[in-house]
Order: sequence, then structure tokens, then C-alpha cells
Amino acid sequence: MFVEDVLIGAVRSGTAVLFAAEGEVISERSGVINLGTEGCMLTGALAAFATASWSGSPWVGVAAAAGVGVLMGALHAFFVVTRRANQLATGLAITFLALGVTAALGSDYVAVEVNPLNPVPIPLLSDLPFVGPVLFNHDVLTYCGLALGPLLWVLLNYTRWGLVLRATGESGAVAFAYGHSPSRVRYLAVMAGGALAAVGGAQLVLAYTLNWVENVTVGRGFVAVALVIFAAWNPLKATAGAFVYGGAVSLQLQLQARGVDISPFLLNMTPYILTLAILVAATRGRAQRAPDEIRAVFGTAGA
Amino acid sequence: MIATGHRGGVSLRHVAGLHRLHALTLPLVLLAGFVVISRVFDVSLDDTLIRATPFVFTGLAVAVPARAGLVNIGGEGQFVAGMVFAAGGALALDDKLPAIVLLPLLGFLGAFGGFVWAGIAAVLKVTVSLNEALSTLLLNFVAPLLLGYLVFGPWKDPANYSNLPQTAEFEDSARLPVYGLTQLHLGIPLALVAALVVWVMLAFTRWGFRARVLGGNPEAARRSGIAVRRTLFIALVAGGVLAGLGGMIELTGIEGRLRPGIGVGFGYIGFLASWLVGHRPLEILPAALLLASISIAGDSLQIDHNLPSTSVYILMALVVLAVLGLRGGTRRAEG
Amino acid sequence: MKRRVIWVSLVLVSLVLAAGFAGSVHGATPLTIGFLYVGPKNDYGYNQAAYQGSLAVEKAFPNAKVLQAENVPETSEAERVMERMIDDGASIIFPTSFGHLDPALNVAERHPDVIFLHQGGLKTAENLGTYFGTIYETQYAVGQAAGMATKKNKLGYVVAFPIAQTLLNINAFELGAQSVNPKAKTIVVFTGSWCDPAKQAEAANSLVDQGADVLTQHQDCTKTIVQTAERRHVLSAGYHVDASKFAPKGWLTGSVWNWGPLFVKMVKTVEAGKFHGSPYSHRYRAGVKEGVIQLAPFGAAATPAIRKKVTATYNGLKSGKIKPFTGPVKDQSGKVEIPAGKTPTATELEDTDYLVQGVTGKIPG
Repeated sequence: MFVEDVLIGAVRSGTAVLFAAEGEVISERSGVINLGTEGCMLTGALAAFATASWSGSPWVGVAAAAGVGVLMGALHAFFVVTRRANQLATGLAITFLALGVTAALGSDYVAVEVNPLNPVPIPLLSDLPFVGPVLFNHDVLTYCGLALGPLLWVLLNYTRWGLVLRATGESGAVAFAYGHSPSRVRYLAVMAGGALAAVGGAQLVLAYTLNWVENVTVGRGFVAVALVIFAAWNPLKATAGAFVYGGAVSLQLQLQARGVDISPFLLNMTPYILTLAILVAATRGRAQRAPDEIRAVFGTAGA
Repeated sequence: MIATGHRGGVSLRHVAGLHRLHALTLPLVLLAGFVVISRVFDVSLDDTLIRATPFVFTGLAVAVPARAGLVNIGGEGQFVAGMVFAAGGALALDDKLPAIVLLPLLGFLGAFGGFVWAGIAAVLKVTVSLNEALSTLLLNFVAPLLLGYLVFGPWKDPANYSNLPQTAEFEDSARLPVYGLTQLHLGIPLALVAALVVWVMLAFTRWGFRARVLGGNPEAARRSGIAVRRTLFIALVAGGVLAGLGGMIELTGIEGRLRPGIGVGFGYIGFLASWLVGHRPLEILPAALLLASISIAGDSLQIDHNLPSTSVYILMALVVLAVLGLRGGTRRAEG
Repeated sequence: MKRRVIWVSLVLVSLVLAAGFAGSVHGATPLTIGFLYVGPKNDYGYNQAAYQGSLAVEKAFPNAKVLQAENVPETSEAERVMERMIDDGASIIFPTSFGHLDPALNVAERHPDVIFLHQGGLKTAENLGTYFGTIYETQYAVGQAAGMATKKNKLGYVVAFPIAQTLLNINAFELGAQSVNPKAKTIVVFTGSWCDPAKQAEAANSLVDQGADVLTQHQDCTKTIVQTAERRHVLSAGYHVDASKFAPKGWLTGSVWNWGPLFVKMVKTVEAGKFHGSPYSHRYRAGVKEGVIQLAPFGAAATPAIRKKVTATYNGLKSGKIKPFTGPVKDQSGKVEIPAGKTPTATELEDTDYLVQGVTGKIPG
């Protein structure tokens, strides 16, 4: 059935972006925007793929990805928090760095085979009509992704850690006054964000494409950053946004497979235009809802 | 927010003495880097000049908005938009108009394409305050899809019966003149001119002054009655115009037909170039030369050293990170 | 402070001077041959097939220098890479991707003494010849295998762009399937990219969701689709190279290139000074007969009946008795593209711009 197929595709192709987006939510809530997310996804993907092929286990690959992601995040944090360099330029430079490094190191892995993360249908639940195949017939990492949004939401709003994180994002001075080091919070937040983005990259290559090529993520990390703003820094909406993106990707292929005559290019535009449109529609007043530190990054010069 | 310039005590910058760098040192270092890279990797000056030209335009495309406090990551998409608009003009008119009329027209079309592409983001910025970094970034993805749609569909070369996604080749009237038998085209000196024009515009005109005030201290700007929205709009679309012009020049100077894949990454590299030099238009020239030489060194890496050509991004990124890290942030609240 | 500036400048100047002496020294150049690929050379696909050909050349000419450039985009960047190779002494250049043709023609004009052998192109020049294989011949046989093996009568084809070669492959595949199973239908999905694994994965998954139980492709890198097919427990038919190790249960067969012998022959011809006037200086098309195209080894999913039929067809193709495109052939709208009894030549077929009846999917654009 068409809608069901598109939704299954949405979860399939949206999960990698979901991980990166949730990671970026954490980072931005602390006041740091990380355009290096794309770079984290790429390095995570290669680390996961390479490690999975040496060790034979995809989960070791996922762990390796997380480790590498932490390091990439730390790199970004160093420049942005300690050296106070411009966040956007740093993130972009790191992404370029990652692109080059992964291309150079990854060329040996293009032809390699790994044990993938296979779908694990959840008994009983996966038999439910419609909801079953859409939500309960994926790999374990996807299930983690589905749980991530709600988990983060709870953490952000109902725990002390979340409070400290949000406070740091609103005003480093306030957090400092209450005995927390804003720098430390930001470092940890960005490292966590990097780790999650890297796990997203791992999911992409270990569960979805089963292959590594240069630049395998093709801009998904950037989309994740945009989605976070689209989601008003809310982890639940970020989940929804990631699936909207995944759905648009899947939609154009499903339509083609049914012989519908729409240019694939125009269809491929939909995820981005949709994100823009929703950003616009909901953005009135959004500028006020951004964590203050983020607003500073973009320069409040303006209307 | 506690904004601190130094963290007190001795920092890396102090040790390197770079915190009081003479203004000329950075451009000199960049030029020296360009020379070293060219020698070590056997990169020809011709190739470097050709490759540096679009980088100058995309760099300026970032610099102008940046001086007004805006972040334009959309050079990539604006470049493509400029190419697309110029290509449309070329296809329609290259057999009807002589070069002397057609080329300026195409230049205008390219600039207009960039204007439109940045204009979308600019309108959103001044009406609903949508952050321009994000809108321009998203539009970067849309532009190549538009190009793809056109070269696969309505603009596909009818004589090219193998359905390859590209337009017909342009007539000579739609090609920039070249110097002798080389590929050095008119766009190269035009890039120099563009940098000079931008410099003059920012440093000596009233608009430039307003933009700089806005970029330096938005509150003061607002209070002193500067038309904030109008200045911002102009700054952002000026960036688009520059990138679009760069696209037209690459199209008519080097490529000669529209196809997917032209100029991929040029916008982002221009972004890095502008950041390298703190958005100073004249210094974008040596930055572009350096980044261009690194970019072309990729060929040598590939053929002679068996490394993927994208490895050059490593060097580019390290250069930028080094400068970003060493310069650090004594600027206002940018994180 | 001023001292620091002087010190820094001195360091820079000495670096520059040192680099000046580090320039490369060119000695006498041996026979140098350059190969350009649009993707990675180990992509288990198009580029790997060409790369294997280049290895054969290396082996046959042990004293020659073979230059390799991967991931060369189909834009004027390719021109620069070729110029670079010529600087390095290349006298023969093999641009292997379809879109390298126009850049190659430009470079060929500037260097009349260098010989260019382009893979797949339709335009030639004084010093540029094109070669290709009529791989749709074996795709016909592969289509027969698919038609016999399918249980749901739905076959999936993942392709990149609607160029003539791709359309011919799809058409031959479907015609082959129809010849053994009139109910077989092929669904085509265009990804718009020669190698984007994420898109390939999504395309393959959607086709299986649609009910396709045999997947084949015209992509540069073939691994992802074959592996995805295997995970979804459907059959795969390969293309470009033998990827059967990725589908131990579901591999049928496939079409593979065998460029090595041809490349060696072409280089020998050029070296003997016999290029101009040889068939290689024009549009050279070889097929099963010349050994340029072969069938991939049969896999676990190929039953004895399938093997027998396909092998017989292959032999028929080799001898010239079987021609996949024999009229009447109708396109999707029912219009007769090839009239009854007519058998177009390879050159005529390269004008193809339609899909045959039985194929679901539209040519985009």
C-alpha cells in the first residue's frame, strides 16, 4: 500500500538523519551550532564500516563510531569554546577535513563486505496492521533512534542535567553563577552531539547502504542542522522532521516505481523546500525562542 | 553573557606573537603558501588563475554580507543559479546576438540569477526573521536539482541523441574571449576588478559605512536611524549577485555548456576563503590563489601519488582551522 | 614586533626557495598510458571493469607507465586531468566514462599527437576513437534467466540516467524476459546518479516493496543493490562485474565486461602506428562474438533449466544467430519502433529513446 510503503521508507532513510539531528539538539541547546555534523556522520560511517569489517561485528563498529564522534565533537568544541572561533566557519572547515580524511582512508573499503545490522522484527508488535511494518520491522539501531526523541525530551525537561544544559544555552553567565562551568557543559554537549551524529553515520552504512563510498552521506548532516531549527530545538519535533525528510526521499522513488510521471528532480527538492516552508511558517517569533547563545552565533543584526 | 577577549595569562596567540600581526603578514603568508604548493605539486599558474577566479567571486559573496553581520553559506547555490540563468540566455540568444552584446547580457542574467537565489533568503530574513545561514544552506541543495531538471528535460541538447544530461554547446558569441591559445579567459581580470569594486564599496561609500556599522554593532546602528532591513537585504543579495556572476563566468569562460557537477564545492571553498581573511575583499585574492593551488594539487596527488583528489580538502581545512584557531575570538559575540 | 615580521618573512622566503629546487625532473619518457574513471576503481562495477582492463595493459606492456585517475567528474575537470597526464608524457588516453567525451574532444583538439580511446561515446575526431560493447546482448540472456526465475512476474531495474545504452539494456532485458515468460514486467527506477549507495538502497527497497523478486541494475557501483536484494530475499542479476559473492543464495547470472584483450589490442595498434584507418579510430562496437562481453558465472538461484536456456542463448548471440532487437518491437505507447523483420545495426540502436512495452516507468525529463 502506497502510504504504508512511503512511511516505511521514511523511517528507513530518515533514521540516520534523526540521530544527527538529536545530537545537534543537545549541542545547540548548550549554545553551540555544529556544522561539522556532516563531518561527524562521515567519520562515524567510515569508522563503523572499517571496524565492523575487521572485527566482524557491526556493534563493535557502532561503538567505534561513537568513539570517533566524541573526538570530532571535541575538536569542534576546542575551536569554538576554547579558542572562541566562529562556529559556522569552524564547523564547515571540520566537515571539509572529514571529507578529505575519510576519502583518503576509506578508499580501501569500497569493495569490502561487512556483517550488516539486520532488521529484527519485534514479535507481536510487528504484526499489527500498518503500524507494525512501519515501526517495528527495523534494525535495533533504528529502534534506539525511535526511542531517542522521547528520551531526550524527558532528559531535557525533567532532569537536572537537562536544566543545566538549557541554562547554559540561555545564558552562560547564569549557569556559571550557579556553579557550573559553561565551557565544560558545552564541551560535553558538543561531544555528545558528535557521538550521536557518528552513530547516525554508522546506521547509514551498516544498516542501510551496506557500503562505503566517498561522501556517502551526501549532505545529510547539513539537513540535520536545519531540521533542528525547524524543530524549534525540541527533540520530539526533530524526530518528526527527520521522518518528513526521509519520507520525501522515499516518496520520489515510490512514485517512480509506480510509473508516476513526475520529474525525480522536482520530487527530490521536496525535502528541502518543505523544511524551508515549515521553517518560515513557524518561525514568526521563533527567533525569540532560540537559546540566547545560538542567537548570538547568527548575529542578531536584523529585523 | 560574559564576553572575554583573552582568558588572562599567556595564550597560544601571545606566544606566536600573532595577536599583533602586521596587516600584511597574512596575505604574504597566503601567497607564500600558494607558491610553495604550486612548486611542490607542479601546479601551473594558468590552472591556478582559472580555478581561483570562481573562488574570488564566491569569497566576495560571503564577505559582503558578512561585513553587515550576515552569514551567507549559500554561495554554492547562488553560483549554480547564476549559471542556470546565464545558460538560459546563452541557449536562447547565442545565434542571434554578437558577443559584444550577448556577453554583458549574460553577465546581467548571471548576476540576476544569484540575486534571485539570495533574494529568497533575504526576503525571508527581513520579513519573518528566518535565519539566513539556514535558508541559504537549504537553498544550496535545491539549486543543483533545478539544474538537473533543466538539463535532463527542456534544455537537453537535442543533437545529443544519447540523452546525456547537458545542454548544447554554446556558440562562440556566448564564450568569454581567451588570451591567445590558452584557456585564460576574461573572467580572470574581472575577478580582480570585482574585488576592487567591493573594497571601494565597503570602504568608501555611504552604504558600505552603514553596512559595516550594522555588522559591528547592530544596536547602535538601529538607534542611529540606519535603515536596517534595507541594508541587510542589499547586503545579502549583493552576495548573491557576486556568486551568480562567478557562475556565469565559469560557464562562459571554461565550460561552454551547462551540465551537472560544475562548480561543486566552489561556494563552500569561497566561504572558507572569506573566513581565512576576515572578510577583507582584497585579501580574498591571495586566499583564493592558495585554495586554488591546493585544489588543483589534487590532480597530482591522484595521478602521481595515488591518493584520492578529495584529500586536498584536508590541507584546505587545516589551513583554515589553523588561522581560525590562532586568530581566536576577540570579536563580539560569535560564540 | 618588526623583528618577528622579518623573521617570519625569512622563513617563508627560504621555504619558497627550497620548494623551487624541489621541482620534478623529467627524464626520457617511456610509453605512458592514462586511464580516467568517473568513480572509484574498486566499485564492483563499471569502473572496476575498466580498471581490470588497464591491469591487462600493464601486464602486457611491462615497461610502460600506466597512470590512473579515479573519481574524475564529467566536467572540465576531466580536461585538466587529461592535460596533466599529457604533461606526464601520456601518448594514449582512455577516458572511460560516457560524460568524459566532450572534455576529451576538447583536449584532443589541442593535442593532435595524442590518441584518445573513449569508452561509449558517439562522436569521434581525427585522434579520438570510441569503443563500446553491445552489452544489451547479454542483458537479453539475463532477462531470460530473470523471466524464468521470477514467481511474481515483476522484475526491478535500477538505473541512473536515460542514456541510450541504459534504455537498450532495459529493453533487451524485458524482451528477453518476455521471450520466456510473456507475463513478466520490468519496473524501472532512475536514481539520477551513477553511484549513490543511499539512493540505491532506497530504490532497491522500494522495488521489492512493489513486489519485484528479481533485481538488476545499470549503475557504476553494484554492491549495494545486490546486497540489498539478498537481504530482502529476492534474486539478483549482476552487471559490469561478477558480484556473486555478495548474493550467495540469490545470484542468477549477469553481464560482465572483458575489456583486457581489447585494450591490449588497441594499444598495440596505436604503438604500431596503425591507429588511423583502423576500426578503433571510429565508433568501434564489439559484442559477444568478439569476447568483449561475457556472462557472469551462474549462481545458486540459477536452476539447471535456466542455465541450459541462457547458455544456449549466449551461444546464439555469439554466433550471431540470435539478435535481441528483431522487429516487431513496440514502445510503451504501443507505437511500433522496429518494424517486423527488421534488425537494426548497433549504430542505429544507439539512437534509442524509448522503453518497450512491458516496462513500467517513465523516462524522466
